[in-house]
Amino acid sequence: MKKIKKQNAARLLEKWQKEFTVFVPSKASGVAQMAVWDGQDLAFLEHNRNTVIPPKANFLPSIQKMFGFRKEEGGYVLEPTDEDPPKQLLFGIHPCDARAIAIIDMVFKDAYEDRYYLSRRQNTVLVGMACTSPYDNCFCTSLGFGPADATDVDIMLTDIGDSFLIEEITDKGKEVLAGAKDVMAATPADEKKARAVKESAKARVSTKIDTDEIGKRLPLVFDDRKFWEEISAKCVSCGICTFLCPTCYCFDINDEMLRDGSGARYRNWDCCSFAVYTKMPTENPREDKWRRVRQKVYHKYAFYPELFGIIGCTGCGRCIRQCPVNWDITQTLNSLPAGTPTKKQETQKSS
Amino acid sequence: MTREIQQKLRAEARNLLEKGKVDRVIGYGAGSLKFATTPLIISDKANADRLVVNPFIHNNLSVFLPDLCGKVAIVAKVCDARSIISLVQNKQIAREDVFIIGVPCSGIIDLAKVQKLTGLDRDEIGDMSWKGDKVAVTFAGGSKEFSAGEVLAGSCLGCDCSGFQEFDLVIGEIKTLAGGKDLSRNKIQEMEAMSPAQRWEFWKNEFSRCIRCYACRQLCPVCFCERCFVEETEPLWVSPLPKWQDNLIFQAVRMMHVAGRCTDCGECERACPANIPLGILTGKMEDIVEELFQYRAGMDKDAPPLMAAYQPEEAENLMR
Repeated sequence: MKKIKKQNAARLLEKWQKEFTVFVPSKASGVAQMAVWDGQDLAFLEHNRNTVIPPKANFLPSIQKMFGFRKEEGGYVLEPTDEDPPKQLLFGIHPCDARAIAIIDMVFKDAYEDRYYLSRRQNTVLVGMACTSPYDNCFCTSLGFGPADATDVDIMLTDIGDSFLIEEITDKGKEVLAGAKDVMAATPADEKKARAVKESAKARVSTKIDTDEIGKRLPLVFDDRKFWEEISAKCVSCGICTFLCPTCYCFDINDEMLRDGSGARYRNWDCCSFAVYTKMPTENPREDKWRRVRQKVYHKYAFYPELFGIIGCTGCGRCIRQCPVNWDITQTLNSLPAGTPTKKQETQKSS
Repeated sequence: MTREIQQKLRAEARNLLEKGKVDRVIGYGAGSLKFATTPLIISDKANADRLVVNPFIHNNLSVFLPDLCGKVAIVAKVCDARSIISLVQNKQIAREDVFIIGVPCSGIIDLAKVQKLTGLDRDEIGDMSWKGDKVAVTFAGGSKEFSAGEVLAGSCLGCDCSGFQEFDLVIGEIKTLAGGKDLSRNKIQEMEAMSPAQRWEFWKNEFSRCIRCYACRQLCPVCFCERCFVEETEPLWVSPLPKWQDNLIFQAVRMMHVAGRCTDCGECERACPANIPLGILTGKMEDIVEELFQYRAGMDKDAPPLMAAYQPEEAENLMR
């Protein structure tokens, strides 16, 4: 393993800036999000908590031009855009957000390869940072990983006081570190320190859910309308929890067209909490609010595991912290009724 | 003091449900986050003990009223109660279906302001409580005191309870906060001192952060249109794409639509995950409505809605 002194971290960022657009957690815009590093601000080296806007915005921007078009005799001519998005490096991303990106990857590679997403993904290096100050409502440790898990990043940094311990996880990670002057070999003492930091971070995640129990109960409570009505009563159907969710990926498609017939097609974030969701192509099958709230819970905790073998939630806690009515998914998950198996489920079980 | 009010409220709620005077009670329950409460809608008297009253009862619960059937008792601060009357004025609910329980409010502490002043996040703050007319904030390794003017929500600083008489029951004493209207208009005055070009830049910057989650609209009690103009597609009034220009148009039109029914309760600004200072717009709009029409929304249930009623003898210049 390697390490770099904190005072030299800026030089590493400068080196990367030559090749990449470097994004760092920043509040400069007025809301915490990944923003292009200004070459000055280094606050995130000391204090790095989950941004409000998740880093998914770097791959699935809230608004993204898909292609331009213009009218010519006989039809429309398409003008492709964004063939080769700029190379970006996301610095200081937390394990939960890196996991979230790995989760969304599955969707955009599944039925067909979504080049808008994947081209950005392929052009990105993720430099993770162990999350040493999880929020009081974070619950990542209940989802099979932890605040210092390095699985989903290219390089992992852990704050060990005056330095960052560096783990090179992928070849891409090794590549971008090659030739970095200030990077030194870590000592066994450094590694020991990092292990202690990681352990203590893990211990600080205090909110828990029981995913095994949730997995057992969800199939039994789908039709428990009374429960879902009660759970959803205070939801106001805004888009905060989904837009700020690092694993929500729904998008809508909209054209902007001038009178001469030229314009562009865009996609933008969409949200299953909205009553008008999917209204354009058909109707919203979930007209009642309780059905929409149920959908959100099932998509993360039942449908995702069914389709991809992983829960579509990373326990980052944004949906709880930012909810204007303090709707809390962990309370819902922890209060699922035990339910009674339907006859069909009973038969399936015994067969 | 708050504990006593909470006990009384629980007893009243239990009583109302038990006697069948109301079908439901909307109030506040304990939140899962520090310094938060959460809307609580109950129909079983056994749940009355889940109701809480504390300095963090920020939500304007009247937003839930139009969707609830039957008779509903609702816990309301005076600003929320004005929203309820505004809904009555606009025929969204019937006055006799609502039982308004007034609770005293010492002003909503704006968590965002405290976070900015202390540089701490919600969960890094130990405690926040009123100490006389100051708010004492404790945290690891210290404590600080702030004046109401520093930490109260902008709309609370402009609190004016005088003349409101629509409560069906008041628990405790309801009075206007000593924040001072001037203080609540600080930001508006700053804006007015700007040149139009500076103001344009200011709002361009603010609305660049809007993600169109529509929390401002969804939390707004008087945004009650069944179909919002942003959801119209033929014609397309405003693009659904979150470009700053369209974000600004969306908000400007929303503001015009709620003029005369908005009570400047502050929910839109508080809900905004992008920290857009919408209170500047609602505050200014309330001032304009008052200045031009001597009208305050939600004060008189029998007063016709400002923008939805027209009398032939009105100054016709307005209509030209």
